[in-house]
Amino acid sequence: MKIKFTLNQEMIEHEVVPNKTLVKMLREDFDLTGAKEGCGGGECGACTILFNGKPVTSCLMLAVQADGQEITTIEGLSQGNELDELQKTFISTGALQCGYCTPGMILTAKGLLAENPDPTREEIKTALSGNLCRCTGYKRIIEAVEQAAKQYR
Amino acid sequence: MKSFEYFKVKTVAEAIDRLKENPDGSHILNGGTDLVLRMKENHLHPDRIIDIRGIEALSEISFSKEEGLFVGACVPLGEMAHHKSVMEHYSMLADAAELVGSGQIRNVATMTGNLCNASPLADTATPALVLKAIMIVEGLDGEKEIPVNEFFKGVRRTALEKTDLVIGVRIPFEEGLQGSFQKASRRKDVDLSTVCASGVKIGDEYRFALGAVAPTPVRLPQVENFLRGKEINRETMKQALELIENEISPIDDVRSTKEFRIHLAKTLVQRCLEQMA
Ligand SMILES: Cc1cc2nc3c(=O)[nH]c(=O)nc-3n(C[C@H](O)[C@H](O)[C@H](O)COP(=O)(O)OP(=O)(O)OC[C@H]3O[C@@H](n4cnc5c(N)ncnc54)[C@H](O)[C@@H]3O)c2cc1C
Ligand code: FES
Ligand code: FES
Repeated sequence: MKIKFTLNQEMIEHEVVPNKTLVKMLREDFDLTGAKEGCGGGECGACTILFNGKPVTSCLMLAVQADGQEITTIEGLSQGNELDELQKTFISTGALQCGYCTPGMILTAKGLLAENPDPTREEIKTALSGNLCRCTGYKRIIEAVEQAAKQYR
Repeated sequence: MKSFEYFKVKTVAEAIDRLKENPDGSHILNGGTDLVLRMKENHLHPDRIIDIRGIEALSEISFSKEEGLFVGACVPLGEMAHHKSVMEHYSMLADAAELVGSGQIRNVATMTGNLCNASPLADTATPALVLKAIMIVEGLDGEKEIPVNEFFKGVRRTALEKTDLVIGVRIPFEEGLQGSFQKASRRKDVDLSTVCASGVKIGDEYRFALGAVAPTPVRLPQVENFLRGKEINRETMKQALELIENEISPIDDVRSTKEFRIHLAKTLVQRCLEQMA
């Protein structure tokens, strides 16, 4: 089936079968491997993308649901070579080790800061509760989000 | 995931037509957080998926004191929980919606999907029961209303016909109502309810409902009748909580034992009463 959608600010026309998930389409058909399929069941957040600006788990969506919508993956977050503030603060605070969870963490945080530019620590923790990290222990991830919030303001 | 035909419908009438063509093989797709997972895990293999997210009218949410609250079938839980009127007049429903899954889930999942999925632990079901919600349904013979207390028929079974589409949920406005939602889960965030409870108090009347303690979410008529008109003190509270055990039939599962569920049911109803005091 043919779908049309905006992918990282580019209009796309694409042929896809209905029984393919959105995360699989992004990874297999577009080589956008930032979104990971971790649990495949909505629990870990590794597959998080922005769907019309809001974080969603792309493992529980069909690719065809993208038709007519706007999708941003981690690959589309920087403006050319200029990294997004969140990408910068994740690097400067050392908020990642293996990096598997990082695209999901950053995009979830992006969604949070769009709605709430000055979140408390508790609000950051709650917003990131659907994103699991096996490496960092979360402390630096929360700090990175706090610092990015300051930079955006 | 097995292959299927996919239809993105634009109107309610078109959805009903598609359902009518193949009632047994069709499945309605809303947010998909239950449906797509069940298809991925091969519990379900529909012949056709009817995606209703393109029906604009179903994304409406509105409130007036006369009409009450109307939440269109496709309104995401996150949007509903943050809606001004929901926070102001139905705060218990906002609390319940905010505790469903993660932010990512709440950006797509809906209350209508939560209710139609008919899981015993659905978090928006107990507020719907005590707030006397009404399912607004379009079927082959036009529109009908199903009170939510007649909607749940068993685990994953509802009063809907295979050719029915839920348009949304209507919740009457009751002046002076106080409510409380309580959830017990193994993990604080992003976990299914081990038990959940809702209570409302209006005048001298009480209504309670519990989730994950029976094949469907249930009201507690014995507790409600006992408490009507009574002052809540240690003694009446104790007697009311003792009645709960007669009204539920919990089971052992991965989340809890039967005994612990009974304990939680009492604790959560007590918390409702305390919050509404
Ligand atoms: C990680 C994760 C965590 C979760 N946590 C919770 C939780 O804490 N609490 C909780 O209660 N649930 C939880 N859920 C379950 C789920 O998110 C909810 O039940 C959700 O509200 C379903 O809504 P949906 O729009 O995604 O429905 P869908 O998956 O699209 O549909 C669910 C069912 O309802 C039917 N349906 C949907 N809309 C209509 C309609 N308009 N008319 C007729 N039938 C319809 C569908 O055909 C399907 O059978 C969780 C799920 C996941 C994946
Ligand atoms: S892969 Fe989607 S939430 Fe884990
Ligand atoms: S950095 Fe390894 S999972 Fe988070």
